[in-house]
Amino acid sequence: MTIDVRGVTKEFRSRARRIRALDSVDLTVRQGEVFGLLGANGAGKTTLVKVLLGLSSPTSGGVTLRGRDPRQAGARSRVGYLPEGHRFPDYLPGGEALRLFGRLSGLDEAGLSKRIPELLELVGLSERGGDRVGRYSKGMTQRLGLAAALIDDPEVLFLDEPTDGVDPVGRRHIRDVLLACKEGGTTIFINSHLLSEVERTCDRVAILHKGRIVREGSVEELTRPTLRFRLGLDEAPGSPLPQVEGVAVAASNGHLEVSATDLGALNRLIDRLRGEDRTIAELTPMRSDLEDVFVETVQRET
Amino acid sequence: MKTWALIVDTWREALARFTLLGFLAASVLFLLILTFAVNLDIVDGTLAAGTLFGQALELHGGKPAIDQVVTTGLSVFAGMLYALGVFLAVFATGSQVPHLVRRGTVDLYLARPVTRTHVLLGRFVGAMTLVAANLAFLCGGVFVIISIKTGVWNLRFLAAAGLIYLVFLSFLGFMYLIGVLSGSTPLSIMLPYALYLLSMPLAAHDKIEAAMDSRFWAGVVRALYWILPKTAEIGRDMVRLVMGQGGPSATLLLTTAAFGLGCLVLATVVFQRKNF
Repeated sequence: MTIDVRGVTKEFRSRARRIRALDSVDLTVRQGEVFGLLGANGAGKTTLVKVLLGLSSPTSGGVTLRGRDPRQAGARSRVGYLPEGHRFPDYLPGGEALRLFGRLSGLDEAGLSKRIPELLELVGLSERGGDRVGRYSKGMTQRLGLAAALIDDPEVLFLDEPTDGVDPVGRRHIRDVLLACKEGGTTIFINSHLLSEVERTCDRVAILHKGRIVREGSVEELTRPTLRFRLGLDEAPGSPLPQVEGVAVAASNGHLEVSATDLGALNRLIDRLRGEDRTIAELTPMRSDLEDVFVETVQRET
Repeated sequence: MKTWALIVDTWREALARFTLLGFLAASVLFLLILTFAVNLDIVDGTLAAGTLFGQALELHGGKPAIDQVVTTGLSVFAGMLYALGVFLAVFATGSQVPHLVRRGTVDLYLARPVTRTHVLLGRFVGAMTLVAANLAFLCGGVFVIISIKTGVWNLRFLAAAGLIYLVFLSFLGFMYLIGVLSGSTPLSIMLPYALYLLSMPLAAHDKIEAAMDSRFWAGVVRALYWILPKTAEIGRDMVRLVMGQGGPSATLLLTTAAFGLGCLVLATVVFQRKNF
């Protein structure tokens, strides 16, 4: 396992009370996997990433990053991190900011002189690498942050809201960079609110709610076909449908949307329709998207 | 390479925030005044005449030996530079730790394969080199200008510059502790000044203790005296050193250095254990 989280609980003291930001979190991320952590604001996503990087210590439980305690400096070698709301030293030009963090990663000057222009090119900042970070827009700073995270060719990449403040073109650009990293075998851990981005990029996701992992699985599993079907009948619209126990039918965008409690109920509806000699033109299982899964899960847990 | 990166980062930050240039500008102004405002006419090893800002100096009691004039003048400069140097150096370095530990910045540094101790001490070394260069320029400049103007080379003045540096380092350790604990630039600058002022009257701790009714509070005063830097006594003894009348005792120097070192160790421990 590249990332292994076992029973991690993190509590903060705020005035007289204790706030539990993470509650017995168990999680594993395999090598080469792109893992998405979803959660509402305050769910504990950033706290978990900070624990995974050794920036914060768990109150109980343990974390390993490639088999090592992330609080050891050596465990963070070839680990990239793009923090949420990062503040680069605004007095440095973009290229020099990359040089600073490259040096802190132990890269030599010759390697940095080659790597920095490549990264600036990769994130579309080659024209602005000599400008001070303080003059960058939000989106440019975010792209610089991604370049800094990639400076030592990471094996593991942590991205906290990587597309925050980035326009749609920039988002696609960042997604392409991440997919290229994935192709190269980098393990990627993404925290994001943008569920469509996660759905397009991640292999597996977990939903964190009030500090607990409430759902986890591959994107395929979570968005698996539901017991909702799109039904098309070869007849004029508006004809009444037979009442079948366990089946609810609603009109939606010019189609009929059938929700069945189980496949037996669906088949009883089909039998009734066929018994009435009505022609079924379409019956398509509907998949829930990640947003549906997320909202449904969070509402159920609240 | 990592330590070098942190030292360079400290210098670039000081340069960009104009603290380095401010320090240099104040030093240059001081040196220019010294160069052009003071003119001395030396005849046969005595001060025959002199002007200050174009006004003739009145030499009461005949023509004093130039050695004596230089020694007295340098002791006055040492006293001025003691206060000015520490004041400017604290101001120039006060924002370092608060800027480092702010949310969104500290993550970028600490997520790298470098220990927290290395990050903090690397910045400390950066601040040390920064202030050493500034003090060398300011004190070295005064020494060279006076020596060239008079032909008297009083090397004890350079030892005085070393004492200013030692006291500053003690305050730098304290600033690092405040910076790590509070993350506040105003506090990191104000509290060292408060400490400077508080430590001054403690030089008379024995008289204060004798005047107190409570043994407990007398003990507190004594403890504070031994814990805090001995700024007043080191300042006084530094002037005596330049005058050739002895210098500060090892106890004064060691307890002042121990305060700074203790604060720095405490800052490192807190930084090491802090959740960001």
